[in-house]
Amino acid sequence: MTIQAKKRWGEVILFAITLILAVIFFFPIFFNLMSAFKSNAEIMRDALAFPKGLYLESFKYLLTETNFPQAIGNSLILTVVSIAAQVLIIPMAGYAIERRNAKWTQAVFLYFLAGMMIPFQAYMIPLFKELKVLGMYGSLVGPICVYVAGAVGFGCLLYTSFVKGIPREIEEAAEIDGCNQYGIFWKIVFPLLGPVTASMVVLNGLGIWNDFLMPMLVLPSGHPKTMVVEIYRYIGEFSSRWDMIFAGTAMSVIPVLIVFISLQKYFVKGIASGATKG
Amino acid sequence: MSANLVKAEQTLAVANPKRKRKWQSYALLFILPSFLIYTLFVIVPTAGSIYLSFTSWDGISEDIRYIGFANFVEILQSTRVHNALKNTLVMTISLVVLENVAAILLAVLVDKVRWFKNLFRSVFYFPTLLSGVVMGFVWAMILNYNFGVFNQMLDAVGLGSWMVDWLGSPKYAMLAIILSTVWKGAGYYMIIYLAGLQGIPAELNEAASIDGAGGWKQFRHITFPLLAGSMTVCMVLSMISALKIFDQIAVMTDGGPGFETETLTYIIYKVGFGELRQGFGTALAMVLFLLILLVTLIQVKFLRKREVQM
Repeated sequence: MTIQAKKRWGEVILFAITLILAVIFFFPIFFNLMSAFKSNAEIMRDALAFPKGLYLESFKYLLTETNFPQAIGNSLILTVVSIAAQVLIIPMAGYAIERRNAKWTQAVFLYFLAGMMIPFQAYMIPLFKELKVLGMYGSLVGPICVYVAGAVGFGCLLYTSFVKGIPREIEEAAEIDGCNQYGIFWKIVFPLLGPVTASMVVLNGLGIWNDFLMPMLVLPSGHPKTMVVEIYRYIGEFSSRWDMIFAGTAMSVIPVLIVFISLQKYFVKGIASGATKG
Repeated sequence: MSANLVKAEQTLAVANPKRKRKWQSYALLFILPSFLIYTLFVIVPTAGSIYLSFTSWDGISEDIRYIGFANFVEILQSTRVHNALKNTLVMTISLVVLENVAAILLAVLVDKVRWFKNLFRSVFYFPTLLSGVVMGFVWAMILNYNFGVFNQMLDAVGLGSWMVDWLGSPKYAMLAIILSTVWKGAGYYMIIYLAGLQGIPAELNEAASIDGAGGWKQFRHITFPLLAGSMTVCMVLSMISALKIFDQIAVMTDGGPGFETETLTYIIYKVGFGELRQGFGTALAMVLFLLILLVTLIQVKFLRKREVQM
C-alpha cells in the first residue's frame, strides 16, 4: 500500500470513529425531540420508532391546561433581568478594579474571587431565611439578586483580564475632550468589551435558564416556578404521562438549540478565555 | 515614532496625579454595586451557615440553640454521612478520570478529523448546555426497565437476559448517573483541550514523525505533556462540578435505591429541607465547602509542577 493510500485509510477510520461517537452523543437529544411529538401510547409501544405524524396534543395540553406558560414566563424574566443586571454592574467593577489598581481594589478583587470557591449549597439554607427577612421571598427579585451576586467573582475575573488589553490612551483622549468617568466607561470602554460581555451573557444566561436547585428552594410552593422546576414536579406528579414531560423538556431544549446555533462562537470563546485566564 | 512615544509619556505623567484623584471617587462608585450585592447574597449567608452549623436549628422555629461541635461529631459518627461521603468520593474520582479521558479523546478526534470538524465539535459540546434535570429525565427514560430504549436495543440484539432495571439496581444506578454525567460534561472540557491542542506548534509533531515516531508515540511524548496546562484547569473544574452534582441525582434516583446514590450535596438538601434539620445541614455544607477549597488548592499546587513551560 502506498503511503498516500495508507493516509487516506487512516482518515476514513478516524472519521468513522468520530461519526459513531457523534451519533451516540446526539441520540438522547434526538430521542427527546422525537418523543415530544409522539402520543403516550406510541412511546410505550415502541420508544425507538419514529412518530407517525406530528402529535401536538401534549404541547397543547401543557400550554392550556397547566401552569407551564407562567413557568416559561418566570424562566424568561429571571434569565433576561438577571443578565441585564449583571451587565449593568459587573463590567463597571472589573474595569475600576483594573484601572484604579490600588491596594484596596486588589483586596476587593481577592474578596470577589473567593466567592468562586463557595458552592451554592454552602449558603443555601441561610439564604432561604435571609430572603424571607428581607421580604424578597415569593417574588422574582430574590433569585435575581442571588444570580447577580453569584456572577460577580467570575465576571470580574473575565473583565479585569480583558480591560488590561485595552490601551489607556483612548480613555485619556476622551477625558481631555471633557468626558466624565461614567461617559468614558459606557460610551468608549464598554463597547470595546463586547466579546467578553457576549460570552458572559450566553454562558450565564444558559446557567440561569437551566438552574434547578435555587429556584426550587426560594420560589414559593403552590405557584408556578420555572420551567425546569415544573418539569421536575411533573416527573413526580404525572409519572405515566411521558408525552407531556417530553413536550416540556423539548420546550426547554429548543430555545437553547436556537441560541447555540446562532451564537456559537461566543460559547466556545467564553470557555476558552475563562479557562486560560482562570 | 520614538519622539511621539516620549511625548505621550510626558503628557501621561502630567495628567497622572489629576487622573488618580478623579479615579479615587469613581472607582468606589463603580465597584460599590457589585460589592454590596455580593456581600449581601453570598458572604452574609455563608457567614450565616458557619454560625448555624453550631446550632440545632430546624429551619422554622425561632429557637436557634447553640450546641457547639455536636453536629460535627455527628458527621464523624453517622453511617449515613459516611456512606454519602463514600459515594461522593467514588463519583468524583470516576467523573474526573472518565470526563478527562473522554474529553481528550474527543478533542484529539475533532482536531484531527478531516470532514465536518465544526459540526462534530458542536455535537459533542451541545449536551453541556442543557439542564441536568431535563437530560436526567431523558436518560431515565432511555434506561427505563419496561419501556426504555436501552433495554429494547439489548433485546433486539439478543442480549435480553442482560435487561435490568438500571436505575433501580444498587449495582448499576451509580454507574448510570456517572456515565450520563460524562455524556453531559465531556464536551465542555473538550473545548478547553482543543484550545490547548491548537496551541501546540505543528513543527513538533512534524519533527517527531520525521524521526520515525508513530501516532501513539507522538501523543504520549509531545501532545500529552503539552496539554498539562489545559489538564490543570479541566481537572479542577471537573472535580468541583463532580462534588456539586445534584440535578441528575434528583431526577434519576432521588438518592436511591436505598441510599446508594446519595452524595454530600444531596444529603445536605435532604437533611436541610426534607428532614428540617438545618443546623446539621449547614454543618454538612461546611464540609462540602472545605472539600472544594482543599481540592482547588492542592490541585493547583500539585498539577502546576507538571506543566511544561513553552
